[in-house]
Amino acid sequence: MAETKHAEVTYEDIEEICEEFANREGAVVQILQKVQEKYGYVPADAIEFVGEILEIPKSKMYGVLTFYSQFYQEPRGKFVLRICVGTACHVRGAGLLVDKVKEELHIEPGENTEDMLFTLEPVACLGSCALAPMAMVQGTAYAKLSADKMVSLIRQFEEEAVKQEEPV
Amino acid sequence: MAKVTINGIEVEVDPSLTILKAAEKAGIAIPTFCYHPRMDPAGSCRICAVELEDTKRVVMSCVTPVADGMRVLTESPKIHDARKTNLELLLLHHPLDCPVCDCGGECPLQNMSFAYGATESRFESHRNDEPEDMKSDVLIFNANRCILCGKCVRICDEIQDVHAIGFINRGFDTIIGPPLGKKLDCEFCGDCLEVCPTGAITDHFVRYKYRPWQLEKQQTTCAYCASGCQMLVETENESIVRVTSQEGLGPNEGSICVVGRFGFNHVQTPQRFETPYMRVEQRLVPTSWDELLPELGSRLNEIRRKGTDRIAGLISTRVPLEDAYAFQSFFRRTLRSNMIDSGARYGFMNAALPVVQATGTLRPLVDHEDLLKAKVILVIGSDPVAESNMTGLFLKRAVRKQRAKLYVADSEAITLSSRASDHIRFLPGGEALFVSVLAEDIRSGGNISGEWLTRKEELFKNWNVDPGAYQRLLTDLKTAETGIVVTGRKMFRLENASESMTNLLKMIGDLGWIGRDGSGLLLLPETANDLGALMMGATWEWLPGLLDARDESSRKRWEGAWGTSLSYGAGGGLEQILQGIEQGKINALISLGENPIGHFPPGSRVREILGKLDLIVSLDMFQNELVDMAHFVLPVSSAFERSGHFVSAEGFVQKTKQTMANWGESLPDWEILERISRAMGSPMGIESAESLMAEIQRFLPDLSPSTRNGVHFVGGTGDIHLHRPVNSPPHKANRETVSNRFGAWSEYKNPVIDSVTMIPGEGEFVFSTAKSLFHSGKMTLNDPNLKKIQSEGKLRINRQTARKRKIKKGEKVVLSSAYGRCSFVVEPSPMVSEFELIFPEHFADAQVLALFPPSMTFSSTTGAPTHHRVRVSLSTDTVS
Repeated sequence: MAETKHAEVTYEDIEEICEEFANREGAVVQILQKVQEKYGYVPADAIEFVGEILEIPKSKMYGVLTFYSQFYQEPRGKFVLRICVGTACHVRGAGLLVDKVKEELHIEPGENTEDMLFTLEPVACLGSCALAPMAMVQGTAYAKLSADKMVSLIRQFEEEAVKQEEPV
Repeated sequence: MAKVTINGIEVEVDPSLTILKAAEKAGIAIPTFCYHPRMDPAGSCRICAVELEDTKRVVMSCVTPVADGMRVLTESPKIHDARKTNLELLLLHHPLDCPVCDCGGECPLQNMSFAYGATESRFESHRNDEPEDMKSDVLIFNANRCILCGKCVRICDEIQDVHAIGFINRGFDTIIGPPLGKKLDCEFCGDCLEVCPTGAITDHFVRYKYRPWQLEKQQTTCAYCASGCQMLVETENESIVRVTSQEGLGPNEGSICVVGRFGFNHVQTPQRFETPYMRVEQRLVPTSWDELLPELGSRLNEIRRKGTDRIAGLISTRVPLEDAYAFQSFFRRTLRSNMIDSGARYGFMNAALPVVQATGTLRPLVDHEDLLKAKVILVIGSDPVAESNMTGLFLKRAVRKQRAKLYVADSEAITLSSRASDHIRFLPGGEALFVSVLAEDIRSGGNISGEWLTRKEELFKNWNVDPGAYQRLLTDLKTAETGIVVTGRKMFRLENASESMTNLLKMIGDLGWIGRDGSGLLLLPETANDLGALMMGATWEWLPGLLDARDESSRKRWEGAWGTSLSYGAGGGLEQILQGIEQGKINALISLGENPIGHFPPGSRVREILGKLDLIVSLDMFQNELVDMAHFVLPVSSAFERSGHFVSAEGFVQKTKQTMANWGESLPDWEILERISRAMGSPMGIESAESLMAEIQRFLPDLSPSTRNGVHFVGGTGDIHLHRPVNSPPHKANRETVSNRFGAWSEYKNPVIDSVTMIPGEGEFVFSTAKSLFHSGKMTLNDPNLKKIQSEGKLRINRQTARKRKIKKGEKVVLSSAYGRCSFVVEPSPMVSEFELIFPEHFADAQVLALFPPSMTFSSTTGAPTHHRVRVSLSTDTVS
């Protein structure tokens, strides 16, 4: 895995997010969620700034951050491939999807691709068992997948990324 | 009251108590892991389970309040099973590496497992295999041994209020450590190490070096600051292995700070002098006492014959009462000289003189327990956490638990600022004007007028004081039931410190606090025995008992006590001593652990002046500039090798004890002085430190030992039992006596207008030094442990200023004053204001001191040197 590049976080940006929640100590989880929405993960600097603004010790902030599995401390790929490996999907071959992604992108679960385009994240259940095996990427559910369909999905995302980078 | 039956024993207790505390009252011990008497209960370890006889329910005794008629069993088959199962679960992940664990032998988990026979677990799980967190230079976190009782996290939160460590992750993966995977960054008090019931927290300094049962424990008083902490020195073969404490012990109640806990190794380092040295042909050569003493004795006799006040003496205030007493006695009686002064002259004397004038005593009106009862507390000119750590701890507690209203008035943010209801900022050195205006405002009952009005406006306009915060403080001071002002080093080292102290005293008097229980002034002396040394008369102004040394009747009183006539001269302090040496009126200097060269800017010529002396005798432990010039260097005992007493900031007279073997041929100061006096043919006749204390107490009975929480030992390595002394003599000043004297003093005193200003110009800063939390004086620079914690002095600069001027942490800058330049490594800090630059005093060597004015200036009222602040400009260009 390549050296991950961390996001540039400014105090002012974090201040803005905290102000949305009136700098309330009780809103710390929502604030962290907002931070993650902005940067794709919760950068270490953001933790310090949020702590400073809400007057919560760093040690407590870090406790909250590590308690919830929804928060990430490392940058993640542009497309997080959340492949469901819950019971229904498992029975219908979710394992094959995961294997295929591993083979195609040379990453293990939880890892990012070198170009930071993809992150593989097997998840326990997305509550859409009727669509098994399924995955969710950038908030969109992809139903009744197969290994081949998975590959074409990846290609599709790659193309999308290239298009977005091209100047309009 | 609630009637509770515990194991058949009926006790009547306050219904707010928990079962655990009620059992304690009944003399029944319930095992605990996570319970701690000074903290809120957590109920997380589940080992203090007890059975309620009526409902057959098992409850946690540390969190369950008693109820009337409750019947409790602390040991029953059900409880035995519950605790055993609990232990089995705790041992699931525990590595059972007791043979290599530092905690083995003093481990509650080990003891409990033994007691309940939980040697095998019915459950199966993987053993944790988390690598140890070795990033910190001080503490090591071993997550595998951790039972997650959370005591360390809680003591850091609730008692220390530092919040350095926390729970990380969740469920089985939970570990304890500093945040963000970084190196531990805290005050390093080591309280977490102390309370950890397993070997999950250990320290780098003594890891693997001992087995607890081989250590001999002895209680002694910490000799660094004036908090008067009681600690346990643990030795093996008479050398110190570690310093610990015991919950509830001493005025510190079991907490000790970083310097007390880890700063014990300088006394057993090879740099320490082992033998006496004598200068032979420009070189210091090792010699023996027998060879040196006759020579020294005859040279002193020669000088003594020339007349009175020919020999000057300086003494460090880190020595016990006994040695300070012997010192002044040696000078006044044997050498017929009153040219004596102490290290307190550099700062604390500025407070001591006005306080003694006003109140007649150095004992405080209030102590740490009063802080917990006070409604309003003002901390001004002091950073209690660094200067007197226990005072800091009590202040944090006063705010956190007792909801006291805390005001901090300081140019920089101190640790306590974040707990304060208002932090009143002013430009560096603004304490003087602030206090004088405040005092006048209170004296005049709010009708401030004339020149004072201009001064008050100046305070708001030029000194950046927030009028709102000032008004809130004023109102609170005037209306508070009980109030305390805490002040310390920064105040003592102002150019006009004694005037400011006078203003402060006047203010306290006008508030009516002198006669009001629980209110008053708490001074934080700079060393362990500033108070004691002055009470013993280790200064030219005072005979023992704070009697005026120049006053005929006081002199007569001591002549009667000692049965000799005292024929010392007019005497003088540091200023007069240096003058006398320069004029050739003083021919010899005996210094007990003092080094004036290290205190003055190099350009002030102190070294040249001292060079005029015929004889310099230095009693010290380590090399320094004065030792380099001395004709005789005499190795002196450290605080760990002598017995004696220290007077703490709270007024407790506490015992320090010999806990390690004598280092080489070193001797305590009193014994060296006694031997010199014998060599001079006029022995003082001191037999021991004990006989000295007996003499002191005979003349000054109020100096008999006192403490807050005493102990008695069961064997050297055995259990320690705490008790609260019942007949302890009063440690605080007698309010009635003080009130009577104060009334007369206060009548003709009005607040004095401050005249010194040092407002930095555009692009300028005020440079000053401060005490670091991690060191005490220059002595601890020789301590390998503390050196590891803080190895170099860094210049603290305001974070925004640094950012604006593009200066990064660790970079070098050059400061220039009108007198000199010096380069510094920078540490940006959010605490420091944009007008000042602060450097730890311990690292202020000649190069740093060169920034200060090279002339020797002394306060006209107290004779204290006044070169503690200077205006500087900063440049990032290190080449030119």
